[in-house]
Amino acid sequence: MDNFNTATHISGRFDEELESIHTKIVAMGQLVEKQLSLSIQAFTTGNIDLAMQVLKQDDLIDEYESAIDAECVSTIALRQPTGIDLSLLVAVIKATGELEGIAAKAEGIADITIQLNQTKQVDSRG
Amino acid sequence: MDNSKIAHHISENFNKELEDIRNKVLTMGGLVEEQIEQAVKALTTGNMELAELVIKQDNEVDDFEMEIDAECTQIIALRQPAAFDLRLLLVVLRVINELERIGDLAERIAKMAIYLSNNSEGRTDQYHELKHMAGLVKDMLHSALDNFARMSIDGITDITRCDEQVDREYASIIRQLITQMMEDPRNITRSMDMLWTVRALERIGDHSRYICEHLIYMVKGEDVRHLTQAELEIKMKS
Repeated sequence: MDNFNTATHISGRFDEELESIHTKIVAMGQLVEKQLSLSIQAFTTGNIDLAMQVLKQDDLIDEYESAIDAECVSTIALRQPTGIDLSLLVAVIKATGELEGIAAKAEGIADITIQLNQTKQVDSRG
Repeated sequence: MDNSKIAHHISENFNKELEDIRNKVLTMGGLVEEQIEQAVKALTTGNMELAELVIKQDNEVDDFEMEIDAECTQIIALRQPAAFDLRLLLVVLRVINELERIGDLAERIAKMAIYLSNNSEGRTDQYHELKHMAGLVKDMLHSALDNFARMSIDGITDITRCDEQVDREYASIIRQLITQMMEDPRNITRSMDMLWTVRALERIGDHSRYICEHLIYMVKGEDVRHLTQAELEIKMKS
């Protein structure tokens, strides 16, 4: 099943653009999944270093979001797609927003992990 | 109202369609503002009928989102807009999504109003602070929608700067709530309900800020998401 319908357009360049967006959103999705499981692991094991790593990688997600959105907008502007192609591109823009939101939640979990474990250290000392 | 940005098309119909979309977004925005106002009022006055009304009206917000969403996609397909027009339509899609989220948060506050009236034994600590914070986020949303109506981003960083004040007030109320929970565990249920409420208000501030960021993209064509307030102010001056 491939909603991107690549290799069905008369314009080969259009196929390539959709393919590139496809590749990027899959990569972004995988990174978000990883961020979420890392943040949960950091939280449950109290691993501050891991939590820091999640925070650091969040920039990458933001970059993916901006890059994919920009590609979608320029593809809509240049190719003027209709029907399924247009719905797909609009859906991708919405999906990147959701993915970014999920990643922000993972970042929140990492933040809380750090706060929680720093207070604990202070408590055990005092 | 300044129509110069949308009323310049050769096709009168296209002008009308864009205008129609803008008006619908503003109507939806007005409804969402009212939802926040009523949800907070229901909570601070213990008015359960008002809280129920807010919960019921959330469907209307959702309907608005679906309707405007469908209209936008249709216009993009039929008119094949470029440049500002395309950005306007894409931004409308994003703005109505933010409004829908804010609507959900207002509904959450209304639900907390019901819980609080059941188990807070008439206590009203922090209501003053809560009302103040609600006033701030309502102003943020109102100004953001006002800028959308005018298709303008003049003074937009003043609105986003307000979000920092909202965050400070949020942190301060949370500290008070934690203190109360530590003082007496019997406060915990009430404090948690209050905590979800101020958390919802803080998120409304965030979504209002996002609307401002979308407006900057619409007018300038620049993606300014994920910047700090200081970075945003520098960018807007350049």
